[in-house]
Amino acid sequence: MSVSISDVRADLVFAHEQAWSALSHPGTWWSGAQRRELAITAILAVNEVEPSPPWVAASTVADKKLQILFASSAAHDVVYRIARHAATLTKDWYQRTTQEIDPLAFIELCGIVCTVATVVAFRRALDLDPPELAPATPGEPSRIKPDNVVAATLNWVPVIAPADENAAVVQAFTAVPETNRVIWAMADAQYIPDKEMVDPHWTRGTLSRVQMELVATRVSQQRECFY
Amino acid sequence: MLSWSGTEQGLEVDLKNVRNASGGVDVSFARELVDFATAATEFDLAALTVARNKLMKLAGLAATVDVAAVIANFEMMTRLADSTGARMQTEVVADRLAVATAMGVDDVVSRR
Repeated sequence: MSVSISDVRADLVFAHEQAWSALSHPGTWWSGAQRRELAITAILAVNEVEPSPPWVAASTVADKKLQILFASSAAHDVVYRIARHAATLTKDWYQRTTQEIDPLAFIELCGIVCTVATVVAFRRALDLDPPELAPATPGEPSRIKPDNVVAATLNWVPVIAPADENAAVVQAFTAVPETNRVIWAMADAQYIPDKEMVDPHWTRGTLSRVQMELVATRVSQQRECFY
Repeated sequence: MLSWSGTEQGLEVDLKNVRNASGGVDVSFARELVDFATAATEFDLAALTVARNKLMKLAGLAATVDVAAVIANFEMMTRLADSTGARMQTEVVADRLAVATAMGVDDVVSRR
């Protein structure tokens, strides 16, 4: 029994294509070449059968042969760590990291990893070939910083004001609106559209809500995610 | 969310069994759903193929694709939560203490 991409809902294919293609385009804080290169590191991290341990900087491991041409080694190390060892991250690590990488640029790195992790996981689960990354689109990042970025209590990262009125995962990427939009477009297509979240009976006609939550719970448990 | 959605639908959900990957939920294909989610988050491709084929046979192609989408979503959301230091409000944590204990979250690496 095999699955082909034509068996996948069109809205889901579209959300993945949009997010994957954005990996090679200039973002808010990183250029297209940087984003693409960092995505390659994230792909390596999620696919490695024997990853580096969390305390080893991936860029220092010679046989990984990371392509580090456009983004800094620090950015590659952050991407590798989030992609492969997210549960081991601490506030102290975040604070040290954001002494080198601006907090908003850090959020965009998280978004790159989230995109790679979700698309690769979907393809792997269904034994579909992973998509190719498009060549990098030239151009500078927009560097548009929203006016109302504030510190949050429920996240390490800054968010758009007012802070802490929504769940921590909902506000986490708001300070980088384009990253936030891409990630939640995928969540709507993969899981439950935001406006349906409060309805325990909502279904696409394939899975019941409780079946979806059972799967969600098991994955979160496998990834040792406290949240 | 699992506990809440189960209660709302009048279904029995035993979180300790979910924790032990033994199904434990009074819903269709619980065992196969847990097996597929488990295999998809590990590196044993043979086990993944078996789990996917078993689910596809029982639940159908469209449902299996949607399960893969939920798996993918939580590969994303767990990284989003852990990388941004997401935490729940104190009162929410207190409300969910029993559920959290049943799921064994006190033991997970990312506890903070």
